[in-house]
Amino acid sequence: MRMTNLDQDVKELVADIIEVDAASLDPDANLVEDLGMDSMMALEILASLEKRFKIKLPEDELPKITTVNRAIEVARKYVK
Amino acid sequence: MSSKVATLPQQLDFEQIKEIIPQRFPFLMLDRVIELEPGVRAVGLKNLTGNEWFYQGHFPKKAVTPGAMICEAIAQTGIVFFHAMHPDDRDVTYLMGSLKIRFLEPVWPGDQLRIEVTPIKVTSRAGILSATVMVEDRAVAKGEFALSAKENQAL
Repeated sequence: MRMTNLDQDVKELVADIIEVDAASLDPDANLVEDLGMDSMMALEILASLEKRFKIKLPEDELPKITTVNRAIEVARKYVK
Repeated sequence: MSSKVATLPQQLDFEQIKEIIPQRFPFLMLDRVIELEPGVRAVGLKNLTGNEWFYQGHFPKKAVTPGAMICEAIAQTGIVFFHAMHPDDRDVTYLMGSLKIRFLEPVWPGDQLRIEVTPIKVTSRAGILSATVMVEDRAVAKGEFALSAKENQAL
């Protein structure tokens, strides 16, 4: 599946925060169990998505960000 | 049944600060809070005298305020900020998750730090905050940091 600009931006943003190489980041890997994301990193991802896409994400979206692909879904829902 | 939510004054003196933050000598880095608007900003003051304990070793021949202590002042202002949003939370400890800071100028004995903390993204239990530290009209440090509230029982 071809990645859109938004997909690629989210992937790079997540990779940067959890400190892994974006090119080798599996978009379906579990961010907590497979990649060691902690709660503060999750919050950083939420804040970075807001800043990057100029959106407001409610707190209840936070637990949904379990993989890069889920983060992409969350971002898509709010980006107009 | 009416719910009672504790309300905080918009300024805090040293004794009131001690009711909120757990740090004590030699780690209490706030003397006064001059602005406190829940969810919007907290502004703290720390007066640095040549008698501060850390100048003994930092440095013996020339006293310069350690960046680590400026970070501590930022963190403590952050705790006050969070507490203002959740004044009924008593049995929690606030821990710093990350800090990205740039020190712009050295800070000397006699300087007064004015630490302003504003939110970037705040949830009910954690937040990413922005901090600017001024001495008079000069910014001496700027950064972003993350704080989270942990139940004391869970620590």
